[in-house]
Amino acid sequence: MVYQKPLPQPNADTRPFWDGCKQHQLRFQKCRDCQHIRWPPSIICPLCYSQDTEWIVASGKGRIYTFTVYHQAFHKSFENDLPYVTAIVELDEGPRLLSNIVGCSPEEIRCDMPVEVIWEDINEDFTLPKFKVVT
Amino acid sequence: MSLKDKYAIVGIGYTHQGRVPARTALSFYVEACANAIKDAGLRREDIDGLICYRHFQPAPGEREVTPYITAQRLGLAPKYLSQEANCARSHLHHALGVLEAGLCNYVVIAYADNALSSHRMIDEIDPDKAVFGQFGYPAEYAMAAQRAMHTFRTGPETWKEIAVGQRKWASLNPSAYFHDRPLTYEDYYNSKWAVEPFRVPDCCLVSDGGRAYVVTSVERARDLRHQPVVIMGIGQHNPSSYIDQSTCMAGPTGAKVAGETAFSMAGITLGDIDACEIYDCFTYTVEITLQDYGFFEPGEGQDWFKDGAIAPGGSLPVNTSGGQLSEAYFMGLTPLTEAAMQLMGRCGDRQLGPKTNTKEPEIILCSDNGATLQTHCCTILRRL
Repeated sequence: MVYQKPLPQPNADTRPFWDGCKQHQLRFQKCRDCQHIRWPPSIICPLCYSQDTEWIVASGKGRIYTFTVYHQAFHKSFENDLPYVTAIVELDEGPRLLSNIVGCSPEEIRCDMPVEVIWEDINEDFTLPKFKVVT
Repeated sequence: MSLKDKYAIVGIGYTHQGRVPARTALSFYVEACANAIKDAGLRREDIDGLICYRHFQPAPGEREVTPYITAQRLGLAPKYLSQEANCARSHLHHALGVLEAGLCNYVVIAYADNALSSHRMIDEIDPDKAVFGQFGYPAEYAMAAQRAMHTFRTGPETWKEIAVGQRKWASLNPSAYFHDRPLTYEDYYNSKWAVEPFRVPDCCLVSDGGRAYVVTSVERARDLRHQPVVIMGIGQHNPSSYIDQSTCMAGPTGAKVAGETAFSMAGITLGDIDACEIYDCFTYTVEITLQDYGFFEPGEGQDWFKDGAIAPGGSLPVNTSGGQLSEAYFMGLTPLTEAAMQLMGRCGDRQLGPKTNTKEPEIILCSDNGATLQTHCCTILRRL
C-alpha cells in the first residue's frame, strides 16, 4: 500500500540526516573546534561560529524531554493512529529531536523516561526515526 | 534618552468580529484603520506612518494583504510603510522608532484576518514536523505546558481558573465571541482534548475581524479627542530557538527580560500595576507570563489564580475583554487595545472601577509573545 502520510522534504542542510536514517543511523553535525553537537543542521556552529564540521552517528538513546497526545487528527492520514504521541527526545549526545513515541499506551508516558530509537522504513526512499520506551 | 512617557495611544479601531463570513482580510484591515483614524479625531491626511502585520497565506481568491494596498484603499500617502514579518509585538517598537527619529507624526498599526470563515490557518503545514504528525501551535504549546507540569506544580487545576475567569469578563463584553456562553469548572473538565494536556477552552479563538490603533507624541495627543494613553515602559526579548531545542518551555521565557526592561524604563514595580492584559494564545501562556514577570513563584500560580483573582471583582483583573480565549484573536492587538480602552474609560459594563468592583486603573501591563514562547514584548501603559 502506498504511504499516505506527509513525506520528509530534505534540503541541502538536512539531506545527510535523512540519508543516515535510510541506513538506520542517527546522524548529527559536530563542531570540530568546540565539540558542540548541533540540531538542526547548519552551515556554522551556533556557539563558536566555526564551519569545521563532521557528521557523527548518535547512539539513539535518550530521554523524553516533553510530549503531547493527539486525540483528534489534524491531517486525515493520521486518523487511524489516534490517540498518538509526538515528543521531543533529548539524545544522550545533546540534540533534541521531534519524533513519535510508539509501542506503548499514551497514559504510560512521562517526561524524562528513557527511550531508544527504532526505525520505520516507510517507503523505498525514506526511513523515520521513532522512539520506544526502554524498560 | 528614555522613551518613557513620550508617546501615546490616541485612537482605537474596531470592526465586526467573531464569525463574519463573506469578507476579505483586506476589508477588515481597511475598516479597522479607518475607524482608528476617525476615533483619534484625525484626518487621513494626518497619517504619515502605516504598519501592518505580514499576512498569512491569503484565502483562496484573495491577494496577499500588504500595507501598500491598505494605504491605497484608505487614500493614504504615508512617509513610512512597514509590513513586519511575524508579529504585532515588534510594531510598537517600529512606530516609536520613526516617531522618535522625527520621520512621522501619526502612525497607524493594524492587524486583521478572515481566518475563521476562510479556514486558512488550519491548513498551514511544516513538512519537518508533519512527517511525525505534529501540526500547528496548539501541540507545541501543549509540549511546553507538559514540560512545565513536570517541572513545577501546574496543570488543568491552574488553567481552569484562567479559562473561567476570562470567560466571566467576556460575559460583560457584547463584542466577545463567547459573550453568551458561560463556562463553569465542570464545563472545563468535560471539554474535549484539543491536544493533551490542553482542552478546547485552554486554546484561543480563531477570528474574523481586525483591530488598529494610532500612536503619536504625548504633545500632539493632548490636542486630540480622547484621554491619551501613555507608553510608560516597553521591552522586548527574543530567546529564539528552534522548538526542539527550546530551553524556555517551563520558563523563564522572553517575558523575564522583556518585563525587567519595561519596568526599568517605567520606573515602577509590580505593586503599581492595576490590571494586566496578557497575550493568551493558551491558558498556560498567561500563567508562565505572569510567573516570569514575578507575580508569583513557579508553581504558586494554582493558589494565586484561585477564587477568581483575575475575574471581575478579583484582586488583579486579567484580560478584561475576555482576551483571545473568549473575545477575539487579533495577535498582540487584543491585549494592547483593551488596555488602552480601559485607561480611556470606554469599556462599558466591563469597565474597571466601581462597575466591576475593581480598582479604577492608572497603570496597565500588557504582553505579547510569539512562536512557542520564544519571543516576547512587554508594554506598560498609563493614564495621562
